Amino acid sequence: MQVHITGTMVLQVVVSGLLVGGLYALVALGLSLVFGVMRVINVAHGTFLMLGAYVTFWLFDLYGLNPFLSILVSVPVLFAVGAVLQRLLVFRVVNAPELSSLLLTFGISIVLANMAMLAWTADYRSVEFLTGSFVIGQIAVSKPRLISFVTALVITALAFVFLHKTRTGKAIRATSQHREVAQVCGINVGRIDLVTFGLGAGLAAAGGSLVSVMFAVYPEMGQVYVFKSFLVIVLGGAGNYPGAFFGGLLLGVVEGLASLFLTAQLTEVVAYILLVLVLLLRPQGLLGGRI
Amino acid sequence: MRPAAIALPVLALVAVLPAVLSGYHVSFMIQVFMWIALAGSWNIISGFTGYVSFGHVAFFGIGTYTAALLITKAGWHWLPAGLAGCVPAMMLALVIGYPCLRLKGPYFAISMLGLNEVVRALVSYFEGFTGGGAGISLPPIEAIVPVYYAMAGVAFAVTLTTYLILNSRFGLRLLSIREDEIAAEAMGMNTARLKLYAFLLSAAFPGIVGGFYAWYASHVEPLSVFPLITTITMIIMCLFGGSGTVLGPVIGAVLLSVLQELVWARFLFVHQALFGALIVAVVLIMPRGILGILRQYYPLPRSI
Repeated sequence: MQVHITGTMVLQVVVSGLLVGGLYALVALGLSLVFGVMRVINVAHGTFLMLGAYVTFWLFDLYGLNPFLSILVSVPVLFAVGAVLQRLLVFRVVNAPELSSLLLTFGISIVLANMAMLAWTADYRSVEFLTGSFVIGQIAVSKPRLISFVTALVITALAFVFLHKTRTGKAIRATSQHREVAQVCGINVGRIDLVTFGLGAGLAAAGGSLVSVMFAVYPEMGQVYVFKSFLVIVLGGAGNYPGAFFGGLLLGVVEGLASLFLTAQLTEVVAYILLVLVLLLRPQGLLGGRI
Repeated sequence: MRPAAIALPVLALVAVLPAVLSGYHVSFMIQVFMWIALAGSWNIISGFTGYVSFGHVAFFGIGTYTAALLITKAGWHWLPAGLAGCVPAMMLALVIGYPCLRLKGPYFAISMLGLNEVVRALVSYFEGFTGGGAGISLPPIEAIVPVYYAMAGVAFAVTLTTYLILNSRFGLRLLSIREDEIAAEAMGMNTARLKLYAFLLSAAFPGIVGGFYAWYASHVEPLSVFPLITTITMIIMCLFGGSGTVLGPVIGAVLLSVLQELVWARFLFVHQALFGALIVAVVLIMPRGILGILRQYYPLPRSI
């Protein structure tokens, strides 16, 4: 079927893409911090997102708590889960060859996803909190997407303030720039690892809470976000946290355009080609900046 | 002891086994050989060079589709169709490996992370040719003993190739890339080309295994032939036995297949969680594998 593509459709797709992109940026920020500080490729990031989504779902289902407020619960809970995992297991693979961290976090992720399936079954659940759209001119913006986007922006901004203004945040950035030098300057890098992994899991959980108002909640829901997050990091440039933000927005728009001009099935292929091209041609990220 | 002295009795045993085993056990052995070949092929690129191929199942999957299409649409016999599975697998490896093997450190692993999903999406997209999500059904298989010998042949070929590589200048060069790539380059090696050769070899065997598997399973579909867990299983089997060795993937594939058959199959619901726990345990407790641990206590020859 040949569909005529109008300017309004393109604009609509770009707006929706930007809204989803804000969420990608938030989720990728957590992964980027963990990768930057510990050189750990955390494949379990999507599983943390899933757990965050379930926290929101259950609080909404059992107590009727506003899903956006439940972020105040899901983030600390997953911060604790992340910190415990870091303390027990992940600390062993900090700065190890990538195979160790890839496999270890994959092992953790299938144990957690399997436990989630046993506890809560594989059923698709949804948080029906907000429905409908705002209509601005010819463009419709779904309410949950817009509010999720704004919330994601606020959380991302808070994370930046934390990274730039607090002693711990500065220590995290220093450790990701140069671990040994940070250590020489008196930073307890073991403690920074703990905080960073907890923070990474917490940011994934915030993303999960926001995803739950838009899409279904189920044990495998986090998987797609792992690859997307790596793509966002690569687009923005590794270790470049503001870059990750723009990378997220860009990925949302590219996915939207790809599904409009090609087909939804091929968005992953377009995204993958983009990843390989950027890695090869601009390994420092599209926005330049330091490597 | 010469390697042939180990290999010949094992080969003789493999040759006579179908005569004494039941159909169920022949089927089990086919899967053991399949895992030996898959774990061994992953070992060729990742065990030797240290470049982690996290999308290796893509080569297996593309092999299954090649054979299925050749058998159903072109009327080929299953044996040449299965062997032909290596051609598109190597072409994919060339297209992906030529650019991506230049990426250093974790970036190669990241670039391979999504490969299986991409090939799966492409296979699903070209519906008219590949049958889309429903997949392709092959004629039912009449006798599995020929597949047994074919799969055993691939497992043997992978192991022999690994042995020949490890005991050649090519193998030493690959190992030097794993130990220190910059030093290897400084010695005048064209590391990009060496890695590409290893990657092509390593992709060819999963293509063939996939080709035979398509005939054995009688059905291929995107969801069942591109799962990430297959890549992880190859890696864990290889690590469990000892990566970068000849017999490591063989030992790992045999032991874990038997473990799976005897233990995990009884715990259906926690099966995946047990596998996850095993992955964590292998990475943390025995990253050098069984052969690595044995080497600490016994003077094993370096050539195995």
